Amino acid sequence: MFIWSKFAAASVLCLAFPVGNPLMAQETLDPVSSVKIDLPPDSPVTLIQTGMGDSRATSRGGAIVLDLHMSLTLRNSGAKRVRGVVLLVTAQEFAPGGKGSVARPCIDVPPSQNFTVPIDIRLVRPVQQAGGPLVHVQLDGVLFDDLSFYGPNKLSSQRAMTFWEVEAQRDRAYFKQTLQAKGENGLRQEMQASVGRQADRPQLDVSLTRNGRAAGSAVPSTDHVAQFAFLSLPNAPVQPLEGWAAISGNEARAPQVEVINKSNQTVRYVEIGWLVKDKSGHEYLAGSVPASETTMLLPAGQKTRLLQDTALKFSRTGRPVDIEGMTGFVSEVEFADGHVWVPSRQDLSSPLFRVMAPSSEEQRLDDLYVKKGLAALVADLSRY
Amino acid sequence: MKHLSEIDLALLAGDDAGRMRRFSLEGHVRQCAECQERVDEFRSLRADVATVADADMPDLDWGGLAAEMRANIRLGLEAGECVRETHGFGNRIFGGWSLGLSAAFACLALLAGASFFMRDARSFPAHPSPTPSQVGISSSEPLPSLESTNAGVGLRSGSKSFTLLNHDGAVASQTVSAQGAVRSRFVDAGAVTINNVYLE
Repeated sequence: MFIWSKFAAASVLCLAFPVGNPLMAQETLDPVSSVKIDLPPDSPVTLIQTGMGDSRATSRGGAIVLDLHMSLTLRNSGAKRVRGVVLLVTAQEFAPGGKGSVARPCIDVPPSQNFTVPIDIRLVRPVQQAGGPLVHVQLDGVLFDDLSFYGPNKLSSQRAMTFWEVEAQRDRAYFKQTLQAKGENGLRQEMQASVGRQADRPQLDVSLTRNGRAAGSAVPSTDHVAQFAFLSLPNAPVQPLEGWAAISGNEARAPQVEVINKSNQTVRYVEIGWLVKDKSGHEYLAGSVPASETTMLLPAGQKTRLLQDTALKFSRTGRPVDIEGMTGFVSEVEFADGHVWVPSRQDLSSPLFRVMAPSSEEQRLDDLYVKKGLAALVADLSRY
Repeated sequence: MKHLSEIDLALLAGDDAGRMRRFSLEGHVRQCAECQERVDEFRSLRADVATVADADMPDLDWGGLAAEMRANIRLGLEAGECVRETHGFGNRIFGGWSLGLSAAFACLALLAGASFFMRDARSFPAHPSPTPSQVGISSSEPLPSLESTNAGVGLRSGSKSFTLLNHDGAVASQTVSAQGAVRSRFVDAGAVTINNVYLE
C-alpha cells in the first residue's frame, strides 16, 4: 500500500512540477521591469528610492508566485507637513476587475524629510503572460496637517484620510487629557485597557463578492431577511431608521439601511458600522455599509437608503460563523462642505468598545507603549 | 542535515503517510526549517488546486473522478497482489496476464491523475501578447472575490490572486465595506500601514 501511495504521490509531483525544472525555481525580480511607479510631476512627495528587499518569483506547476517586498522612500518636497499618503496599486492581472491601495496614515513628516511606505504583495498568475510591468504604483493622495489634500483621489482617499486624521486628533486629545488630568499612572492604566481591548477583540475572516453569493459560502437552501437593530449615538447628525439584509447561514447579502439627516447641513457620505452576532451570542465587527459615493447628497431633514449589492461570508478560524443577529450604528458622516463627523470617545463607550477596532492613531500609540514604554508614549504625545 | 525526499514531503503534506512514517517525518520537519517550508509549500499547492477546482470547474464531478481514481488504484493494488502470488506459486497461466493487467491499471491511474492536472492547466490559457481588453476579467471567468485572512487582504479570480500582505507578526485589524472593499491595518516599525483591496 505504501509503495502505491508513493507511486501516486510521485505521479502527482511529476505532473505538478515538470521534469527538468527544480522543485521551486526561484529568481530575483528585476525592479525596473516588474514594477512601475508613477508620481505626478507636481507631486508634493517625490520618490527617492525603491527597495525590493527579498522579492522573488517562485514557479509552482502552471503558475508563478511573485512575492514583492518593496519599500518606497518618499520625500516631502512640499511646504506643509504631511499627515498621510495613499498609493494606488494595480496588478496587470486584475486591471480591470480590482485594485489595491497602501496607505500610511498618522504620520507627521515636515518638509524636506523622508519617510517610507512598505508594499508587500503576493501575486499568483499564469506562467505565460504578456510582458511589461506586473505591478503599477501611483499616487492617489496626500493629506496635509491643515487637512488640505493633493492627488487624483480615484479611491476617495481624501475622505478616508480625513476621517483617519480626525479620529487621530480625537484620540491624541483624549490621551493628552488623560495625562494632564491623571498623570502618568492614569495614562498607563488607559493604555493597558486599550491594549487589552485589542487583544480580546474577536475578528472575523470575510469573503466578499459583488452581485452574487460569496465564494465558498456554507449556504442552506432557505434565506431569510434579518433586520438590523440600531445603537443610537446621541450626537450623530444622521440617524438610521430601519435596515435589513438577506441571511443564509454565514452569508449576508444586499444589506440596506434607511437613514435620515437630522442635522441642518447637507450630507454627502454616511457609513453604518455593522456588527453581527453568532448563535452563541458572540458579537463581532463585521464591517460597514456605506452610502453609494456617486449618488449620495442628502439635504437636511431628508431620508435616503444605503444599498449595496454585495454578498459577504463570515468565518472564524476556518469555520463558518452563522449569523443570528445584526446591529448597526452611524460610524462616519461627511458633510457637503467637506468636514466630517466621527463618534466621540464617549459615544464609543461600552458595548461598542468591546468590538470596535481602535483608530489608527490609538493602534499606533498602543504599539509605541508596548514596544518602547510609557516615556516614549509621553514624548510622542507632546510632539504635536 | 539530510533533507526529506520530495515524495516524503508530498505524503506528509497530504496526510498520506502511515502512522509510524508520519511520526518519523514530523520529527524531522520539526527540526528542519527548510523541510517545514517545503511541506508548507506543498500544502499551499494543494489548497490552490482545491480552490481552482471550486472556482473554475463547477460542472466537473470531482467526487466521481476521485472515486474513479480510487477504484483504479485499488484495482492496481489487487493486480499487484496477483503478481506477487504468481511469483510465489509459479503459476504460469495467470502470471503474464497479471503483470500486464497491473501495468495497464497503473497507466490508467496515471492517466486519471494526469487528466486532473491537465484540466488545471487549462485554466491558464496561453496568450503570448494579449491586448489590454484580453488581460481583464472576461465574462467566462468566475466572479472575482475579496478575502481577508490572517495573511492579508486579497483579490481572487479563479487561479489568479493578488494579495496585499500583512507584516509578519503584526496584529492586523481587518474590516470589510459592503461597497466592495476589504481593509487590513497594522503597525510596522512604529508606523501604521493600511492595505485595501477593492472590487471594481
